Amino acid sequence: MENKRRAFIKYLSVGSVGVGVASYSNLLAKTQPSQDETKDKKPHFGMIFDQNKCVGCTDCERACKKVNLVPKDQMRLYVQDKTDPQKRMEKRYVRVSCQQCVDAPCVKVCPTKACHKDENGITTMNTDDCIACKYCIVACPYDVRFINEETKSAESCNFCADTNLKDGHEPACVEACKYEALVFGDLNDENSYISKMLNVKDSLRMRPECGTNPSLRYIPVVKLGV
Amino acid sequence: MNSAINYTYTFSHGVEWGWPIAVYLLLAGMSGGALIVSILIRHYKKQEASTPLFKAASLLAFVTIMLGMVCLVGDLDKPLYFWKILINYNFNSVMSIGVLALCIYIPLSFVMVLYAFEDEILELLSKRFTFLKGLFVTVMQILNKIRPLVNALCIAFAVIVCAYTGFLISVLVRFPLLNTAVLPALFVASGLSAGIAGSSLLAALCFKEDHHSNDLKTLHKIEWPVMAVEIMLLGMIFVSLIIGSDAQKAASAAFCGGAWSGLFWVGVVGIGFCLPIVLNFLLGKKVASSNLAFYVSSFASVIGVLLLRIFIVYAGQTYDIFI
Repeated sequence: MENKRRAFIKYLSVGSVGVGVASYSNLLAKTQPSQDETKDKKPHFGMIFDQNKCVGCTDCERACKKVNLVPKDQMRLYVQDKTDPQKRMEKRYVRVSCQQCVDAPCVKVCPTKACHKDENGITTMNTDDCIACKYCIVACPYDVRFINEETKSAESCNFCADTNLKDGHEPACVEACKYEALVFGDLNDENSYISKMLNVKDSLRMRPECGTNPSLRYIPVVKLGV
Repeated sequence: MNSAINYTYTFSHGVEWGWPIAVYLLLAGMSGGALIVSILIRHYKKQEASTPLFKAASLLAFVTIMLGMVCLVGDLDKPLYFWKILINYNFNSVMSIGVLALCIYIPLSFVMVLYAFEDEILELLSKRFTFLKGLFVTVMQILNKIRPLVNALCIAFAVIVCAYTGFLISVLVRFPLLNTAVLPALFVASGLSAGIAGSSLLAALCFKEDHHSNDLKTLHKIEWPVMAVEIMLLGMIFVSLIIGSDAQKAASAAFCGGAWSGLFWVGVVGIGFCLPIVLNFLLGKKVASSNLAFYVSSFASVIGVLLLRIFIVYAGQTYDIFI
């Protein structure tokens, strides 16, 4: 009896040390490749929406619909008028669209892997595999996903991954914006315009408390009032 | 919420997961709950024969989970593509884990039906389909040998199925009412309560079990602690909402004053909790032991759990972090 118990405790301690070593080496294995990753520089596409420049013309909305063949009464991109009714002279618009989260809840919950990250790290859809369970729609903390009436599949903004970007152009909304309110580029590239811009401008992420790490940044109008 | 910049326009416009999901959540919980209690009672009382309660519970478990599958697949916008979920597994997704659990649980619940109705099926086969009789006898011989293992697996997967329905919606960070850690526990507890009520109802109605039989008395005894746990867990969710962030405080309107609070107080509390308590404890022994009290309170328990799921699904999706 005594022997058995002693052996049990021995195995238990050896086992726990083993698990500890294994998890520590796992941790090391996880941290090391991330250092290498920055060297080979896989692109991490991001976008800036500058509220100081947006005038609410909705050219971006129309371009998005045209390029991505979004059904008539649906949209991937919406410009909401958030002007304070008390201060009608201070126009404020805000872009509503997929935030391209690095830790995307839609990718995590999709049971068929239809919603996935493509080779560029962009969250996009494989519409054939989507069974329209709507799990991604309810999981999205930004509520910017919808079922396309024509394909009956869930979708959202994917930086024109399968249209403009594939052909070497910038996303349709960025091309259409006359006021340079939208900036698109590779956040991993230090010399890209978007990276330089983020170095000098204060920008915000929508709902950082959700822990999704969005790639879409917002530069808000901040009037200090002299 | 970021006060410097935000938006309130959203693309889904309302409740994406509607009543079929709520009904599925009830059916899955009831199925799991019925099997858990019936197998545990069998084990606890060391019963050998198929009791009316065991027959009722296993039949209920199998039928409800199959009906649940109909609801689940029917709610998809592309129901004919449901098989894609079976070949493209994503182990980060609670839904995939749940489907995998169901793939094991459904055959197990069918084996439970075979155990419960072994004699009846044998009788039927010897009368009509005599060619299947030999096969059935061999299959049952094998199954009876591994019965303890099947029972243990069945309980484990019944708990997983009950709990996964809670995890399925508690991962939705957008909805403060759903995104709580105790929701899966609440779903296990309410699944047990629906399973107890449903199987005792079915045992009395279809299998002529006496309302005051030994098994039903035991069920009756465990019904109240389970209900107490349910009330406690609901209380925890409410407290976590009223002391939380602005969005959580806004979501506490689900319980007090909001559009769905009526459903909660009348349906979940009134029908689900108060009606059985009043019938069984407050109106004296005569009423409590009557047939009427038995049927009404069991039925009210099942309806209460259904209304709880409807409340959670609808009110949960009504109050999101867009305030």
